[in-house]
Amino acid sequence: MHNTLTCRQAVRLMLEDEDHEIAPEDRVALQVHVRICFACARFVGQLNFMRRTARAWRKHCES
Amino acid sequence: MSDFALQVETLRPQLLRFARTQLRNEAWAEDAVSESVLAALERPGAFAGQSQLKSWLIGILKHKLVDQLRRHTREATLLVGEDGEDLDDALFLPDGHWREAPRDWGDPDAACCRSEFFDVLQACCDHLPPVQARVFMMREWLELDSGEICGQLTITPGNLWVLLHRARLRLRECLQARWFDGLAEG
Repeated sequence: MHNTLTCRQAVRLMLEDEDHEIAPEDRVALQVHVRICFACARFVGQLNFMRRTARAWRKHCES
Repeated sequence: MSDFALQVETLRPQLLRFARTQLRNEAWAEDAVSESVLAALERPGAFAGQSQLKSWLIGILKHKLVDQLRRHTREATLLVGEDGEDLDDALFLPDGHWREAPRDWGDPDAACCRSEFFDVLQACCDHLPPVQARVFMMREWLELDSGEICGQLTITPGNLWVLLHRARLRLRECLQARWFDGLAEG
């Protein structure tokens, strides 16, 4: 049952996905989870923001 | 001093700042910058002028930073366990639910590109345990892929993943405490 991730497992997968591609079935399970869990959806947004800012910070220091 | 050498020298402080952020060690940063400047001055012809001088120098510097990291990270393998605390346990209940849901960051991008925000980000990176900071910067600043980072530091992909996982959780917490909580309080 892949669509019954706990939040802890979901966060683990999200962080793993920052580093390397996760398995397609994990991605599906994650998408299902994030759709029904506002806390994890928020966490996704925070990770995305952190990725963008890291890039912006580097550009800021390079320019 | 030639015009070219003068221009390169003028950029030295900026290169040093970049190197410090990455290495967090004054002596290594100085070494990396000196080697870069030397390499640039030895081959002025390599700078074709199609890009900005600073971008070209930063390109050279990135290689020298990786050299420094490789030279000084024999200890990396030993330090993978430097951070004994289980961050996941702090965030989640035993049944896997959040102890406390992540707080709303509102429209974070509104603030993101202000230099005060970058100062906070820098401070948060400085507070990471050293090897976590190092791998995070290698990934985000030097844009190395996992294979390269593991090769340079002689750590396994599993080690790297644990380090990056912890680094990102810590940064998120730090940004919450040092930036977003402050915004919420106005």
